[in-house]
Amino acid sequence: MNSREDILSSIRANLSKGFELPMQHIETISYPDKTARFMEISTAVGGEAMLVKEGEDINALLRSTYPHARKIVSNIPEITIANMNPDMVENPQMLDGADLSVVRGQLGVAENGCVWIPQDSKERAEIFICEHLAILLDKNKIVNNMHDAYHDLTFNDYGFGTFISGPSKTADIEQALVIGAHGATSVTVFLI
Amino acid sequence: MKIGLFIPCYVNALYPEAGVASYRLLTSLGLDVEYPINQTCCGQPMANAGFESQALPLAERFEALFEKFDYIVAPSASCAAFVRGNYPDILKGQHLCQAFEKIYEICEFLVDVLHVKQLPSAFPHKVSIHNSCHGVRELKLSSASELNIPAYSKIKDLLEMVKGVEVFEPDKPDECCGFGGMFSIEEPEVSVAMGLDKLKNHMATGAEYITGSDSSCLMHMQGIARREGFPIKFIHVVEILAAGL
Amino acid sequence: MSTKHADSAKQFLYYKGSAQWHNETLWFVRHKRDLVSRSLPEWETLRELSSQIKRHTISHLDTYLEQFAANAEANGAIVHWAVDAKEHNDIVFNILKKHKVRKVVKSKSMLTEECRLNPYLMARGIEVVESDLGERILQLMDQAPSHIVLPAIHLKRQQVGKLFEEKLHTEKDNCDPTYLTHAARKHLRQEFLTADAAMTGANFGVAATGDVVVCTNEGNADMGTSMAKLHIVSMGIEKVIPSYQSLGVFHRLLARSATGQPSTTYTSHYRKPQAGGEFHIVLVDNGRSKIAGNPDHWQTLKCLRCGACMNTCPVYRRSGGYSYTYFIPGPIGINLGMLQAPSRYFDNVSACSLCFSCENVCPAKIDLGHQIYKWRQDLNGLHKADPMKKYMSYGMKYVFKRPVVYHTGLKLAPAINKLPRFLIYNKLNAWGLGRELPQFAKESFSEMWKNNNVKSVKNE
Repeated sequence: MNSREDILSSIRANLSKGFELPMQHIETISYPDKTARFMEISTAVGGEAMLVKEGEDINALLRSTYPHARKIVSNIPEITIANMNPDMVENPQMLDGADLSVVRGQLGVAENGCVWIPQDSKERAEIFICEHLAILLDKNKIVNNMHDAYHDLTFNDYGFGTFISGPSKTADIEQALVIGAHGATSVTVFLI
Repeated sequence: MKIGLFIPCYVNALYPEAGVASYRLLTSLGLDVEYPINQTCCGQPMANAGFESQALPLAERFEALFEKFDYIVAPSASCAAFVRGNYPDILKGQHLCQAFEKIYEICEFLVDVLHVKQLPSAFPHKVSIHNSCHGVRELKLSSASELNIPAYSKIKDLLEMVKGVEVFEPDKPDECCGFGGMFSIEEPEVSVAMGLDKLKNHMATGAEYITGSDSSCLMHMQGIARREGFPIKFIHVVEILAAGL
Repeated sequence: MSTKHADSAKQFLYYKGSAQWHNETLWFVRHKRDLVSRSLPEWETLRELSSQIKRHTISHLDTYLEQFAANAEANGAIVHWAVDAKEHNDIVFNILKKHKVRKVVKSKSMLTEECRLNPYLMARGIEVVESDLGERILQLMDQAPSHIVLPAIHLKRQQVGKLFEEKLHTEKDNCDPTYLTHAARKHLRQEFLTADAAMTGANFGVAATGDVVVCTNEGNADMGTSMAKLHIVSMGIEKVIPSYQSLGVFHRLLARSATGQPSTTYTSHYRKPQAGGEFHIVLVDNGRSKIAGNPDHWQTLKCLRCGACMNTCPVYRRSGGYSYTYFIPGPIGINLGMLQAPSRYFDNVSACSLCFSCENVCPAKIDLGHQIYKWRQDLNGLHKADPMKKYMSYGMKYVFKRPVVYHTGLKLAPAINKLPRFLIYNKLNAWGLGRELPQFAKESFSEMWKNNNVKSVKNE
């Protein structure tokens, strides 16, 4: 017998009664203005969410938001200010030193400021390695809570995705909150 | 209805005035109350220490002594909680097991069974409510601070019927005081540290008295207060409810 | 009459200032949990659902594990099964050896602590770098975590400052947490860039899709697994959940219960290996399958490892993680330790006043306090019961069975009030270490009753 069978038979030997999966349709919190709530929470978790005006030039907006960014990583064709394409690098180490990464979010979650970002380039490192992360999100794609998010989200072929809520942080030293641990030190969601 | 009065062992020995107040309060409401003289202890101290089997003969005695009563009322949340919560397990297979359904701590009896809406008593003092763990989390005498449920407190409701009393609750209103039965002597340093913190929270309300339904918690805090020389006083809640009767 | 926990707690409390800081800081985390839980009207419904989903899953654990493995393998993951800690360590080592790994970067995993993976790998020449800031600090100090979510909660900034001065060459006497954290960022960034492999734990394994879900605030799991192409997940078999529908429930409870945040910064879903890489999942039993059949203690398998029970526990807050002899402290740790090796970890069973606050904060509604009560009953059978407690219990039973003896005792007890202090208050009297003894009433209630001194109040 191999370990897999050992473990499965040990489980079967120890189980007696089967319990039903509960019905999971519960009254969940919903927000009258999901966008406003999303923006509020984004700030509360140390990030930012800003509305992009109709017809506004996203590249100009990014330039003015990150005036000191030199190394800008993105494979989104519309982001012309990008000067490094994660699809073209030989290895993820080359992305180190990125000041700004621009990625696409698929949906946002009003209850916690999370944005679902399915991996969309060869190197998922583009999401985490940069100093500043800019997430482009359709403002009509904000759902109330995680139940809705998990119902709607999809992956790309890369088979990786992440919810991001605010910048990386830690309170491991005396519970003093510090923004900027190993991932991005700032996260801004650009609501288009 | 016939009420059997259960006076826990340590209340009997250390705080008989709480027993007296219980009897006077219940009889003032026109109730038929008896005290079976041969009662001793519900068995909780040994069970919590890990010797539940030692509690079995006491549970059997308890059942027999209180068999003829409709209700068993005790001025002690932890004892009532123990009988209600543990007797069915301890007495599994025994032919007599009714006490767990009949037993009530006195405050919950007044609120849930008698639906008392007024009391003739007077106690013009500032009191801080000690919400004991078994009272809150086992008997649901008040809403536990951990839970997202509407706030309520049966003890507070009753106290507010007493003329002149000013009711306060400490910060961390239901944090454990550190008595825990044998815990108090098996982990004495932690027990006293918990008690000191609890006392400080109570005293910060400005109250003259700390009151609650568990004399065990009060005894533990009183021991610390006396050692430290704190001027705060202690009184079982039933004595306030019966004050002036 | 004292357990190892009581002795260690005494030491911990000796340093009043840091003990108070530890107590108040952890209470504040509990308080933050309270605030966010009240912002969701459906909070208690979520907890009940979470408990029921876990109960259902555990009662069908074999089916869900098979489904999880099948879907993970269909995604391209390589799934391994480890009966115990040793097998887990061997599997991990063999994967690393095959890929000629010299350095592996790890994100937090209590399971790998349970298996003692780090020393196992280091002894075989593989460098292991912990990447969670708290865990890295402890690794550099050669210390164990004292809390499962806030591992370095027992340390002060000055200690971290001194450590970083020595190991990371930071500025002398600079112990500002922001400065130190940014220094750690730079240092660990180099480790991420040069690691040959990445290891993570798993918060959840989703059976319906084969996803491994990892939640962090620091982004260390993500940095590690983005840089290295070889990713190994260590996952306890109890971490499997049915579907995304259930995941929604658990996600909403997890960070709120652990730290009072509505979500961790990162909630990452791993399905497929990276191009040119490998994605391994090691499913670990190490006693869990037996626990599933334990009617008194199976509920420990519901645990989400959020740490809320520790934050609320008045005993943990005042004694610290190192007072417990098992590597996981607090209410869940007492129970897990007893399930692993009762004759080794029984000292922790005293670390509980049975206040049941832990049960009320647990997002999976585990009956932690009631389980500890049950372990206490088992101690005598294990010959680990404290003899003093045993004799007191037997003694009390003797007296309480005999009303005549009891009443005589009540009559004589007041004499104790008059005894000289040196007889009452000495090393033998644990009560008297910080408290005055209560005074025995001159007349007990039963004596008053017998003497007709308890008067009723007749309704006029």
